[in-house]
Amino acid sequence: MKYCFRISAFITIAALIMLAGIPAQGASGQRELRIADGTGDWGYPNPFGHYPRGPGYIRMSWVFDTLVWKDQKGYIPALADSWKYDPAAMTFTFHLNPRAKWHDGKQVTAEDVVFTIGYYRKHPYRFIKTTGIGAVSAKGARTVLIKLAKPYAPFLSDIGGTMPILPKHVWESVADPEKYLDPKAFIGSGPYQFRDFDKTGGSYLYEAFPDYYQGPPQVERLIYVRSGKPLISLTTGEADLANIQPEMGESLVKKGVKVISDERGWVKKLLINHHKKPLSDKRFRQALAYLIDQKEIVEQGHRGFATLASYGLLSIDHDMYNPGTPTYLYDLQKASRLIEALGFKRGKDGFFQKDGKKLKLALLSSNIAAGGESVADRDGEIIKRQLEKGGIAVELVNMEQATTDGRIKKWDFELAISGHGGISGDPVILNEMISSVYGGGSVTSARYDDNAALNKLLEKSLVEMDQVKRKEIVYQIQKIYAQELPAIPLYYPQTKAAYNPRKGVDWFYTKGGIAKGIPLPQNKLSLIKR
Amino acid sequence: MLIKNNSHKLLSGRFRGRAVAYLLAVLLLVLMSYYLPRLLPGDFVTAMYSGSPVTLTGEQEAELRAHYAAGDSLGHYLVNLFFLDWGFSFAFLTPVSSLILAALPWTLFLVGGAHLLSTLLGFIAGVEAAWRRGAVEKGLVAVMTFLEGIPEMGTGVLLLLLFSLYLGWFPAAGGETAYAGYSLPRWCLDVLHHTALPFITLVGAYLPGSFLLARGGMVVVLHSPFIKTARAKGLPPLRVRYGHAARNALLPVVTRFGLRFAFMLTGALVVESIYSYPGLGTLLFKAISLRDLPTIRAIVLFSSLLVLVINMALEVLYERLDPRVQHEL
Repeated sequence: MKYCFRISAFITIAALIMLAGIPAQGASGQRELRIADGTGDWGYPNPFGHYPRGPGYIRMSWVFDTLVWKDQKGYIPALADSWKYDPAAMTFTFHLNPRAKWHDGKQVTAEDVVFTIGYYRKHPYRFIKTTGIGAVSAKGARTVLIKLAKPYAPFLSDIGGTMPILPKHVWESVADPEKYLDPKAFIGSGPYQFRDFDKTGGSYLYEAFPDYYQGPPQVERLIYVRSGKPLISLTTGEADLANIQPEMGESLVKKGVKVISDERGWVKKLLINHHKKPLSDKRFRQALAYLIDQKEIVEQGHRGFATLASYGLLSIDHDMYNPGTPTYLYDLQKASRLIEALGFKRGKDGFFQKDGKKLKLALLSSNIAAGGESVADRDGEIIKRQLEKGGIAVELVNMEQATTDGRIKKWDFELAISGHGGISGDPVILNEMISSVYGGGSVTSARYDDNAALNKLLEKSLVEMDQVKRKEIVYQIQKIYAQELPAIPLYYPQTKAAYNPRKGVDWFYTKGGIAKGIPLPQNKLSLIKR
Repeated sequence: MLIKNNSHKLLSGRFRGRAVAYLLAVLLLVLMSYYLPRLLPGDFVTAMYSGSPVTLTGEQEAELRAHYAAGDSLGHYLVNLFFLDWGFSFAFLTPVSSLILAALPWTLFLVGGAHLLSTLLGFIAGVEAAWRRGAVEKGLVAVMTFLEGIPEMGTGVLLLLLFSLYLGWFPAAGGETAYAGYSLPRWCLDVLHHTALPFITLVGAYLPGSFLLARGGMVVVLHSPFIKTARAKGLPPLRVRYGHAARNALLPVVTRFGLRFAFMLTGALVVESIYSYPGLGTLLFKAISLRDLPTIRAIVLFSSLLVLVINMALEVLYERLDPRVQHEL
């Protein structure tokens, strides 16, 4: 028996040593790139199969192209070589690239674009809203005219740069697009052809489309892999690109990995149930803003890897950011005066009270973070401590994301920590994150309609096609938002990614985020020679 | 003859009783698998669209909710199950049965393998330790008691940091190198390479319990008169140890094996998550976070039916291992 043990131990150790010597990455002869993320599965990479999240859209974007696209500076041609807007006719004209082909070799035509809009009207694709589009027509094989029902300022962001164009010859016979998963459902005009999706493994395989109209992509095979620890996968060579925690940046640079940072396009904010008293009074919300010390949250909760947010919601990196937006520097006295003006008095225990009842609020906290990831933080604890120091008792409730969101949706909360991206993209985000008309179905929107002037400005900003005039309106919206504070912006976390520079690909973050504002560095332009 | 007939009637009555009890349990499980996941706060639409760049209007949200609610009644669920249709995943846009079938082999390989090996090693080590009693045995008991107290999560993260991040010997995630195009032998090695760390984590978590149970059982059994008789008869020590003593110390180990085996489908959720292993635990975790009710239901029902089947198998096994159990039933 003793010998059996020794032999087993020897075999086990020998096997482990042997296994340890196996390289972790693939052995394919082709040039390939591996991207890691913590979730893995983001749905099938076509407009009706991907999850309505940023990483889902990105996986689809390798296969399907849009009319225009964005790089580090702004809009650039994609399927459309050129475009112009005629204000008098309220019409966008797009001229398609004559070299653009579908993955099955057929030509991309103006008819495909006309068909796509019609198809999305019948079978909505949630990333775009077709309601503002009027008549759409083809003029010859390469020109598309899109008439707007009324002026719509975010057209390029919401439709031109986000709407994946579908091949008419494939989809015209498809009645139930969500259940259509035939190989033809993945025929696009993008730089990569979809080859496989392993649902349980959370991995995707794409292969370069050699006839891509902007030239064949630099890398033959593009692979997505799931990794709960993308940072480790980067260091072991299992992945070539992954999002990282900002504090890990320095150590990775020492290992020869390149680290890139995004603009401030994602905001963590405090949602407020403004239907409930005393939260329905803007003076009380302002008092909360004075009590919450953004700087302390950033320094203690995030070791400085974040920036204080503007109280006007829009990113401070945005071209339309209003530097004159009201601010609420930490001020205990101002907060006390505002709360006392509402009839509250300090009790012996230091907490405010009214009619013999202690002022107490419940705060929902979860781990929401940029890019669809979930990262634990101490924001809830810090805010609780700050509010209690200011005389408001807080019951901190930590829950998983879906439970928190479910309660927010039903207005079953008082305060909740939440967050969203898009604040460095088109200012339409203000409409969506403020008004219930645009964000009534969202759990990150404040759904606040109490200020008529604000509502009017939001409407006006959507139809103002002149960017200078629109900027003026957006300035005013930020100012009023900061006064009303339907939700309190807290900070912009640093968003970083790291990649292996030896693969010869320079990844970058897109200005305003990819398409509608996705804060990920996986822009397909990185793999296209320009 | 009369006694024989009565005994036969008694047996068939007992069998019918058991069959009815199991059938009722199945019905109860089916109902619970439908209702319990519905009690989870939040729903698929909210979970799917929160954190999305897509901002839904109230109408769009209501439309989506109605879309997913259609065909999700208990009646539909029961009819579908009757035709062995386990449902269609909201998130994966795939029949849930195909998801389970894709994830199951990975879980069986990792958790089943770890479970089998740890039980076997734990049992043999426990028997040998009890037989040899002394300083080594005491040391082993102390080590195993300590290991039993360490959660899988702790061991998993520690192994990951040491062998993956610092030494770079083992991959950090997955069950294989995706799309590597390996030949079969190379693929097998690759799978073993990926499985090594989660496998060791699980063996480390399961082995101490089996060892302590086997050793505890053996210590009691070794003092029994029948062991003394067996020794006095001059039987070889190996036969006394395993043929007489260990067989009687086996029952609690088998119970533990059965119960653990029944829960293994979802029980390795933590380890699967740490190593991003493509098993049923990961699938269930994802389904819960997205509130993908059809997938949650199917996995819950599948696992609970397995518990039932294992329970039935254990009953039969008990009777074979220990005839006293049969008389007591």
